[in-house]
Amino acid sequence: MTGDAVWYEAAQVVGITNALNVAADTLGVLGAVDEAHAPAEARTLFAEIRDFYQGVDGPPGFRFIAHDPAYAADVWAATRHAFADNRLARRFKEALAFAVSVTSRSASGAAWHLSQMRRLGVSSHGVMEIVGVTQMFSSYTKIADTLQLEPDMGDIAPVDPSPAPGGR
Amino acid sequence: MPTVRLRAATEYPPAAQKLFELSSSWFNHDFAEPPAMSRVMAWDMGFGGPHGRAMKRAMAPGEFTRAEKEMVAAAVSGINACEY
Repeated sequence: MTGDAVWYEAAQVVGITNALNVAADTLGVLGAVDEAHAPAEARTLFAEIRDFYQGVDGPPGFRFIAHDPAYAADVWAATRHAFADNRLARRFKEALAFAVSVTSRSASGAAWHLSQMRRLGVSSHGVMEIVGVTQMFSSYTKIADTLQLEPDMGDIAPVDPSPAPGGR
Repeated sequence: MPTVRLRAATEYPPAAQKLFELSSSWFNHDFAEPPAMSRVMAWDMGFGGPHGRAMKRAMAPGEFTRAEKEMVAAAVSGINACEY
């Protein structure tokens, strides 16, 4: 995991996962968009999402934010970009999103990303590997915070001197 | 400023010295002093021992690599707003 590019990719997954979980876990009060009676723009969006997820409806948050189809389409474009295979594989990105969802207590996010991990071939043992890391670091972080420890390992990783994409 | 005084490695008993060696090997880094978390966990081996073993078990490569797991750990720490 050397070089900054993979960390930027991971940060995108973490950020957009949290954004979708926030919507899925709190916006039920808006009511889900009924696809059968939705405008064409929203139906196209739902079809694109299903295509990316091989026939499944996709992250539940989109059903709520699709009340504004243009906004939801932009969020979807960012989501699709973040979760597509790139330097990090989609399988790992779903595992990362699962860990984020568990840590942020998003039951809907945890269930969604668990289903995607399984679809992408992660076994029950693999799921428990991610549960273990998530749980142990949820312990470590609180011990460190309680004792107000200061970071002391930031300099053991090398600095990436490369420019931003397209820059020099 | 930490809530507790972090002891130097030399102030710990031999069982903890072994843990510090393992920590250095785990991170593949020669620390001037063991990381603060290692010294915290070595304070009470009744807790730090099994917690450390669970951590090592969780971080060992399996279906996911050690590097991938370190990235998951960084994300979990970020969500928990932990600077350490």
